[in-house]
Amino acid sequence: MRLHGSSSASARSRGTVPLAWFAVGLIVAAGLSVVGIATYYALQPGAPTGPLTVTDDLGRTVTVPADPGRVVVLGPSIMDSMYRLGLRSHVVGVDCYAPSLGGLSSDYSSDQVALWNLSASMCVQTGPTFEVEELLALGPQLVLAATIVSVAAVEQITQTYHIPVVMLQPATLTGVVLDDQLMGEIFEVPGSASVLAQSLQSALSRAASLQDNLTANGTPFPTVLVTYSADANGYWTFGPGTFGQSLIELASGASISANATLPYPELSGEQVLASDPEFLVYGTGFGINESIYAGGPFWSQLTAIQDGRAVGMDSNYFTEPDPTMILVGLPQLIAVLHPNPLA
Amino acid sequence: MGVTSAIPPGTPRGLGRRPWVLGLLLALLGLGVFFSPILGTVSVSPDTVLRILLHQVSGGALFSDPCAGASVPASGCAGLIEIVWDARLSEIMLAVVVGAGLGISGGTLQGVFRNPLADPFLLGISSGGTLGAAVVVVFRIGVSEQNLLLPLFAFVGAIGTGAVILVAARSRFGSVETLLLTGVALSSFLSAVLSLLLLYSPSGSLQVDFWLLGNLGSLDWTQDGIAFGVVLVAGTLLATYGRELNLLQLGPDVAQSLGVDSRKVRVRLLLLASVTTAAAVAFTGIIGFVGLVSPHVVRRIAGSDYRIVLPGAALVGGGFLLAARDLSLVAFPGTLLPIGIFTSFAGAPFFAYLLFRRRGASTMGAP
Amino acid sequence: MTGPSDVALRLRGVTVRFGERTALHDIDLEVPRGQLVALTGPNGSGKTTLLRAALGFLAPEAGSVELFGNEVLSLSVAERARRVAWVPQEENPREDAQLLDYVLYGRYAHLGWLQGETTRDRDAALRALRAVGLEERAGDGILSVSGGEKQRAILARALVQEAPLVLLDEPTSHLDIAHQLDFLTRVRELSRERGVTVVSALHDLNLAARFSDRIVVLSRGRRVADGVPSDVLSEELLARVWGVVADLRRDPRTGAPYLLPHHLVHPAPSGPATFLGKGPVHVVGGGGSGAPYLRVLSEAGYRVTAGALHLLDSDLETAESLGALTAVEVPFAPIGDEVRERLRALLEAATAIVVAPFPVGPSNLPNLEEVRRLLGRVPILLVHRTAGQEWDFTGGRARALENELRDGGAQTVTGTTQVLAALAARPVVPVAQ
Repeated sequence: MRLHGSSSASARSRGTVPLAWFAVGLIVAAGLSVVGIATYYALQPGAPTGPLTVTDDLGRTVTVPADPGRVVVLGPSIMDSMYRLGLRSHVVGVDCYAPSLGGLSSDYSSDQVALWNLSASMCVQTGPTFEVEELLALGPQLVLAATIVSVAAVEQITQTYHIPVVMLQPATLTGVVLDDQLMGEIFEVPGSASVLAQSLQSALSRAASLQDNLTANGTPFPTVLVTYSADANGYWTFGPGTFGQSLIELASGASISANATLPYPELSGEQVLASDPEFLVYGTGFGINESIYAGGPFWSQLTAIQDGRAVGMDSNYFTEPDPTMILVGLPQLIAVLHPNPLA
Repeated sequence: MGVTSAIPPGTPRGLGRRPWVLGLLLALLGLGVFFSPILGTVSVSPDTVLRILLHQVSGGALFSDPCAGASVPASGCAGLIEIVWDARLSEIMLAVVVGAGLGISGGTLQGVFRNPLADPFLLGISSGGTLGAAVVVVFRIGVSEQNLLLPLFAFVGAIGTGAVILVAARSRFGSVETLLLTGVALSSFLSAVLSLLLLYSPSGSLQVDFWLLGNLGSLDWTQDGIAFGVVLVAGTLLATYGRELNLLQLGPDVAQSLGVDSRKVRVRLLLLASVTTAAAVAFTGIIGFVGLVSPHVVRRIAGSDYRIVLPGAALVGGGFLLAARDLSLVAFPGTLLPIGIFTSFAGAPFFAYLLFRRRGASTMGAP
Repeated sequence: MTGPSDVALRLRGVTVRFGERTALHDIDLEVPRGQLVALTGPNGSGKTTLLRAALGFLAPEAGSVELFGNEVLSLSVAERARRVAWVPQEENPREDAQLLDYVLYGRYAHLGWLQGETTRDRDAALRALRAVGLEERAGDGILSVSGGEKQRAILARALVQEAPLVLLDEPTSHLDIAHQLDFLTRVRELSRERGVTVVSALHDLNLAARFSDRIVVLSRGRRVADGVPSDVLSEELLARVWGVVADLRRDPRTGAPYLLPHHLVHPAPSGPATFLGKGPVHVVGGGGSGAPYLRVLSEAGYRVTAGALHLLDSDLETAESLGALTAVEVPFAPIGDEVRERLRALLEAATAIVVAPFPVGPSNLPNLEEVRRLLGRVPILLVHRTAGQEWDFTGGRARALENELRDGGAQTVTGTTQVLAALAARPVVPVAQ
C-alpha cells in the first residue's frame, strides 16, 4: 500500500470542485451585495411629507402636512385633546385591540366611545400586534401616537409608507400643555388651542396656589394612597416619575409611595397598614371596582376605610396624560384630599 | 471492472435518502409565497390580490388597473397596492427568510450537539438578542433610526452571547457538555438582567414582550433584504458542511480519526448558526419551534443525510412559518397573532406526533 | 538501512500524564511497516492511551510520536486520516445509514471541499465490504446489523481510508467467540495481502498469540515485554503482570502458545487465619488410589493439584482430566530434582494435603519426604490403609515417614467423606508464600 500524497489529488474529478466553489462564491457575493444595497436604501432619509416641520416628544423631526383632514389617533389621551380642540372630524381611525379579543373597548371606555362617537370601522389594531394593513386601508395623512406602539414600528411606517407619525408622549403635565399647542399648530387652530391652554393653565395655577397657602400656613399635606389594582399580596400604586405621582403632588397630597424604588411598585399590606394614610383613592374603570380592593390585605383595618375617607376615581385620571387629567382629575383629587380648603 | 454491478439494482442511495424532495419543497414554498398574499388582516378578494401581484411584478405592464371591480378602501387603489405588495408580500417574504434561517440553524445545532431536541436558541442567543432589543427600547436609543437600531442591537446581543460560548468552545474545555452548560448559565444570567431592566420601564416591558413573542408585522423590503442577504450567505456556508456533520454524528473521536477536525468544524458551524439565527430574529423577535421541528420533518421524508437535511430544513422552516402565518389568519381572521404563539400552538402537537410515530431506531431521536 | 517512512509508528520517550496519574511512562516503541502487533496488558496499563497518542488525540507531556516519519501533531487532521485508520472498541451510531454510506465515510480524507463521491470511491467501498464479507449487506442499515457485522463494517471503513497503518482498540471485546475468530482472521489476512501495518490492543492473550507477529506487553504505563508470542508469553509473565497463576500449553494445531488461567495469585495474608477460599488441595497418590479423592474434592469445589506422578499412572489421567496442576515424572524413573522442585511448589501452594493410600516404592518415596517437610505448616490428612495389604516397598522407610506424619499432627481419615468433613471443619491455615 503506497503512502498517500498524490492519490487524493488524482481522486478529484477536475470538473466538480471548481464548479461548486464558483457556485458558493457567487451566492456569497450575491448575498453580501443584497445586504449592502438594502442597508444603503434603509439609511436613506424619507422624502418630506409636508410643508411643516415639527419636533415631537421623542425628539424626532417630522414633516407634516398642513391641517390634515385624515388623521389616525393612537391613544385615548390624544383623542381627548383632539376632541377638546374641536378636531373630532379630522379623526378617521383610532387604536384598538384585536376585534375578536375586545376591539375598541380594550382601549376606550364606553363613555369615551359614546362621547367621541367612535365606531369599530375606525379600528386600527395596535395589539396584540400592530396591523399596518388597517392603517394603509384608511389612508391617513398623519398619525398621532402615544406609547402604545413600538417605536421601531413607528419609524417603519414613516419611512416605508410615507405617513408621518408624530409621537406625543408628554413626560410632565406641562408637556400636556405643550402637546396641545403643537396640535394647534399642525391643525391651524390657534384659537381653540389657546383657549384650551388657558383652561389648563388656570387649573394648574389653582392647584399651585392651594399648595402655596397650605405651605404658608404650615399645614401638612394629607397622606394618601392612590391604588390602581390590588391582590392578596398588596396594593399597586404610583411611584416616583409617574403621572399619578405628579398629580398627587400637584394636588398637595403626600403619597405614601413617594419614595418607592420602582415606578409602579406593589406595596405590601404591612407597609400600607404601617403608613395608614389619611385618604384612600382607588382607581375604577375597565371592569375594576371597589370589590377588587376589598379583597386586599388589611383593607377593612385601614383608618381611611373605617372613617369613610376612601373614594373611587377613574383610573384614567392618573394614567392618561391628557387635558382631562388636568381639567377633571386634578380638581377631583383636590376635592377629595382637601374637603375644607382654606380660602 | 464488474464491481459496480455488485450492488443489487434498486438499492436506494442511503436509507430513505430522497434528494428530489428538496425540489418538491421548493416548489411548494413557491406556491405558498404566491398564494399567501390572499390572506391578511384587511380582506381583499383573491382575484384582486393576484391582479395586483402580477401588476407589480411586471412593473405595471400587466393589469393597468388592478383594482377594477374590487371594493376599494378609503386610500384608493394605491392604498390597496400598498397593502398587498408592500405590507403583505414583504411580511410573507420575511416569514420565509426567518423560517429558513431558523430551520437550517436548528438542523446544524442538532447535528453539532447530536441531540434531537436542540434548537437554534440553545446557546442563549435568544436572551442576548432580547437584552439587546430591550436596551434600545428602555434607554430610547436613537429614536429616529430605531427601526434599524433595534434589529442591530438585537443582532449584536445575540451574536455576543454566541461569541462568549464559542470562546469556551475553543478552549481546552470545549466539550459539548461545557458548551451546553455555558449556554444555560449565560441565558439565565441575561434573563435576570433583562427582568431587572424591565422593572423600571413598564412601557418598555410591553414592547419587549412583543419582541419575545415574535412578530412579522410592519416590515419593509429593505429590512427583508438585509435579513435575506445575511441568512443566504450564512445559510449557504452552513449547507456546505453537510458531509462534516454526517461524520460528526459518529462521535468527535471517530470523526477526527476519519479526517474531520472536530473542534474547528464545531466552532465554525456554531458561529455560522449563530449569525443565521441572530439575523433571522433581529427583525422579528424570538420565534420558537420552527428550528426544532423543521429538521425532523426533513429527516422523516428525505432521510438523515445532513447534505439534504440542512437545505431541506431551510425550506421546511420557511414553509412552516408561512403556514403558521396563514393558519393564524384563517383561525383568527382580522388579526395577526404574535407569530411565536402560533408556532407553539402548531409546533408542540406536531412535534409530539413526530416523536410518537417514529419507527423503532430507524430515525433520529431514540431517547 | 530502513528509512523513517519504513517505520509505521514510532514512539520515543513518550510520557502521558492525566493530572496526577501517569498513563504512559517513557515509552519507546517502533513498529516497522507491515507488522502485525498485539498490544496487551492489564486494565489501566496504558494500551488505549498509547493508541490515542498514535492517533493524535492527545499531546504527550514528553517524547514524540511519529507516523511514517512525521510527528503526528504536526500533520493536519486529514493527513493523519490518510496515514492511520482507527477501529474503536465500541461505536454506537445514533442514526441509521446504509452500510455502503457508512463505509464511504472513510473516504472523507481523500475528497476535496464540496467534492462529491465518485464511482472510484464507491468501488473502493464495495471492495472493502467484499473483503470483510459484507458485500451482500451493502444496502442494509448500520443499526439493523449484528454486533459482529457492525465491527466488520467499521473495519471496512478503516480499509477504504487506504491508510497504511490500522489501529484497533479491543475490536473483539463485544463479539461472541465465533465473531472474534472471524474478525481476527480477516484482519490477519488483510494485513498479509495489503501489507498494512496493524497494531491491535487485545485483552485475550491467547488470541493475541495466535493472531500476531509480535506481542507488546504494557504494565502500569511501561513496556515490560516485547517479542514474538512464544518468547513473550510465560506463566511467569502472567503472574507478574496480571497476577494470575496459569498453565502454559502449546496449541498442537497452530503451534501458538496458550495460557490456561487458574486462579489469582494470593495476596499476602493480613492475619493468622485468613479465609483463602477453596483450595488448592494437593493429593499425593498413585496407582489409582488418589483418583477418588481428586474427583470428590473437585466436585466439592476445591481446586486440586496432584503429584508427583509418573506418566501412564491412572491417577495422572484423572488429574489431567480435572485440569489439575501436576508434577509429572517419566515412567519408572525415580523422581528427579526438577520434578521435586515442582512438587515442592505445589505442596507449598496447597491449603491442605491428602495422602492417599498409594503403594510407595523407591521411585515415589520422595512424595512422602516432601510432605513430611510441610508437617506443621499445612493440614495433612492421612488416609487409613486397610490392614493386610502390602504397600511399603521401601524397606520400612515409607512406614516410618507415615508414622512421623501421624505423630506430628496429621489427621487420620478413613475415606472421602471424612476428608471432606475434615477440610470443612478445620480452620484453614494460611499458606506460606
